[in-house]
Amino acid sequence: MQRLLLAVVLVGVSVAPVVAQAPSAGTAAVLATTLNNGLRVLLLEDHRSPIASVQLWYRVGSRNERPGATGIAHFLEHMMFKGTHRYGPRQFARLIEQNGGQDNAFTTQDLTSYFVNIAADKVGLVLELEADRMRNLLLEPKEINAEREVVIEERRTRTEDDPGSFLGEEVSSLAFKAHPYGAPIIGWMEDLKRITPAEIRAFYDVHYVPNNATLVVVGDIEAPAVLDQVKRQFGGIARGADPPPVVVTEPVQNGERRVIIQKQAKLPIVYLAWHVPSQKSPDAPALETLSVILSGGRASRLYRSLVYDRRLALEAGGDYSYFSLDPNLFWFWATPMPGQTPETLEQALLDEMEQLRSEPVAAEELARARNQVEASFVFQQDSVYRRAALLARFEMIGGYRLLDAYVDRIRAVTAADVQRVARMYFPADRKNVGVLLPLP
Amino acid sequence: MASLLLLLALLAVASAPATAAGRPLAHREVLPNGIVLLVAERPAIPIVAVRVLHRAGAVFDPAGREGLANLTGTVLTRGAGTRSGQEIDAAIEFVGGRLEAGAGRDGLTVSLAVLAKDVRLGLDLLADVVLRPKFPEAEVKRKVAEIQAAIQRSEESPEVVAARALSRLLFPGHPYATPVEGTRESVGRLGRDDVVKFWGEFVRPDSTIIAMVGAVTAAQARREILARFGAWPRPGGTPPTPPSPPVGMAAGSETVKRDLTQATIVLGRQAVNQRHPDYYPLTVASYILGGGSASRLYARVRDEGGLAYAVFSYLAPGKYGASFRVSAQTRNQEVPRVTRIFEEELARMARTPVGERELELAKAYLIGSFPLRLDTSAKVADFIVAVEELGLGLDYADRYRERIGQVTAADVQRVAMRYFDPGDFHRVVVGQPP
Repeated sequence: MQRLLLAVVLVGVSVAPVVAQAPSAGTAAVLATTLNNGLRVLLLEDHRSPIASVQLWYRVGSRNERPGATGIAHFLEHMMFKGTHRYGPRQFARLIEQNGGQDNAFTTQDLTSYFVNIAADKVGLVLELEADRMRNLLLEPKEINAEREVVIEERRTRTEDDPGSFLGEEVSSLAFKAHPYGAPIIGWMEDLKRITPAEIRAFYDVHYVPNNATLVVVGDIEAPAVLDQVKRQFGGIARGADPPPVVVTEPVQNGERRVIIQKQAKLPIVYLAWHVPSQKSPDAPALETLSVILSGGRASRLYRSLVYDRRLALEAGGDYSYFSLDPNLFWFWATPMPGQTPETLEQALLDEMEQLRSEPVAAEELARARNQVEASFVFQQDSVYRRAALLARFEMIGGYRLLDAYVDRIRAVTAADVQRVARMYFPADRKNVGVLLPLP
Repeated sequence: MASLLLLLALLAVASAPATAAGRPLAHREVLPNGIVLLVAERPAIPIVAVRVLHRAGAVFDPAGREGLANLTGTVLTRGAGTRSGQEIDAAIEFVGGRLEAGAGRDGLTVSLAVLAKDVRLGLDLLADVVLRPKFPEAEVKRKVAEIQAAIQRSEESPEVVAARALSRLLFPGHPYATPVEGTRESVGRLGRDDVVKFWGEFVRPDSTIIAMVGAVTAAQARREILARFGAWPRPGGTPPTPPSPPVGMAAGSETVKRDLTQATIVLGRQAVNQRHPDYYPLTVASYILGGGSASRLYARVRDEGGLAYAVFSYLAPGKYGASFRVSAQTRNQEVPRVTRIFEEELARMARTPVGERELELAKAYLIGSFPLRLDTSAKVADFIVAVEELGLGLDYADRYRERIGQVTAADVQRVAMRYFDPGDFHRVVVGQPP
């Protein structure tokens, strides 16, 4: 899975990149517990539709990979659907579908998420299947080698033949010299061809343990009864050793880094990226707010200036990943209109940053950004899938209760804060630049 | 912007209603000027989703003026009533809401999403956009340039290129042959006069559906909609007639050479929509063939063959025509093998009845997953608008479930014999096949 670099700013529907929902009562209604084996469990009753979302989130992603084995976390995600001792290959999907459920999974830099949305009375089946595949995968070499080809095809679809993703990968690998965030989530092609079944088995044994996972169920459930089922299904799984921590700190960037790619495409693309702190930093809410001010809708700065007033860009946007575990990149991107050059767009993006540095944002802009964040919280409540995913996201960065504080953190941001982080984190001499020049 | 085509695809997987069987999905009434008002109350979350559908999709584009409905849709919000486009954006975004307009194949949709406390403001803006658009000359020009650039950029996407080429082969002489957004040339011919004329001719109350879903009662909805849309006069005459059904053509094929590592293969033929009895067994047949990760094509092409990441078949029903498509993306040298598997599996379904277990799984999924299709206010709004536009009735969810439930192995074989003959399929490959 790719980072959200493709948010469509063109149609102006992106609200905050971080989308969230907090019931007005906050997380008070969540039943939270940790089993003896370390499995974290979050349950929330939501009786509006007769459905539930069951999600198991493992704290493992491309961040936990080593050079030479990039893409192994995502490869393993695929293998989670290829059978256990009890349920053969493809049985997972079959059982979910014949019970009217929809299942899928995705891998990010920091985590791997498995989810099933299904009629609420089938939650027990999902829990059984998830508990089974937490420790009992077959991981047969024959299946691994067939799936290797599938993952390679996925890389071709998502990256090799997609100009935007291709360029994004180049910029990431340029921006990070030491930290694994420099490698693509899907992995380098050479690694995908090489990774051995034994390595996948070892990776599974290290990371797929109850003490490295969070189980979330939101929907038309009786939470205490579901907790009993969870204990029955997962309680007997042994706690594993704690997976080794990721200890890399990316060294400070000295000087600008730039990559220019020529590839078959129709229009150029420009990416700019700067290193920024994670949500652990007190500056995170201001960075989040800056992101919304820049690209939250058609009244946002980048749309209004680059797309509308100056007609330089077909689309332009910015993205701060609030949920990143380690310090990551703040991305900006623009697609020039035909006849405009990448140089012009790069300068226009830099001009926008300069303006944020030189003068405080208007009160109306700040209020709009706050209102957008708050409204997005309410809109998210409409979906049990989103409610569950958000609890999990906050749990992963330090505890689901951080969700309650999120809107307050955003509300507390002042124009001076936005100006201060703009000055601190976006120096022109430490930018990472990617340019894609189309080949006919 | 969801096109009606996509909304209709939702219907392809709908079955049992989330509400008790027999209860319609929404309150329905026809206002004096002909507007159909649909209201579904979902009081738990304080938001309101509104959809306004006009029977003014790309199928009504005049010949040589392809892309006009789409242009009209995008310019609707660029100035209306007393506000400029920028003022509309600022007003709706200040309250964290969204107001979007755009055309699909069959209809032109204006969508609103707001917190319940802001519903009046949202409806004021919506009414301006629908009834009092200004279509400023400069905004029309700006959008023409943007749409042309977006079309140019979309030519990068092999899936888009393949889908467009297939539609050209499938629907010769029919509006479905042309992309909703038109071509760079056809859009270049459009100006403000075209937009004003199209809007005047096709945006009329007696071909408009308004759906309100969320924290709103039927009485409130009626009051608020009548206050804003009640005086909208019904024009004389009858609404414009839709296009004739598409005619069939002998199967053709096209290869679009691109410097890519992977080829996109799409096979397709004309099919039927929800109003045809074959639609239900065909839905089951398509699901068994390439619908989910338990499907035959997924097993052979992806799981066993390692030939593709994406492989699927689907029915794409529109109001004025429909298609059935089979698609995969595979490394260039494997195009012949994947195509052969497609042909084998299509033919096998016509030759041999599907197994009872396979049939039951497909039916259980199609029926059992229905509540997941209606779990947000936005999805409910899209669904009830599509049901109304197709004339399926607000009890459609119940009847869909019944019809899927009645499908037998013999029915699946019968529709496969009729619709799955590999010789009838048009073929498109984008990439560098051997």
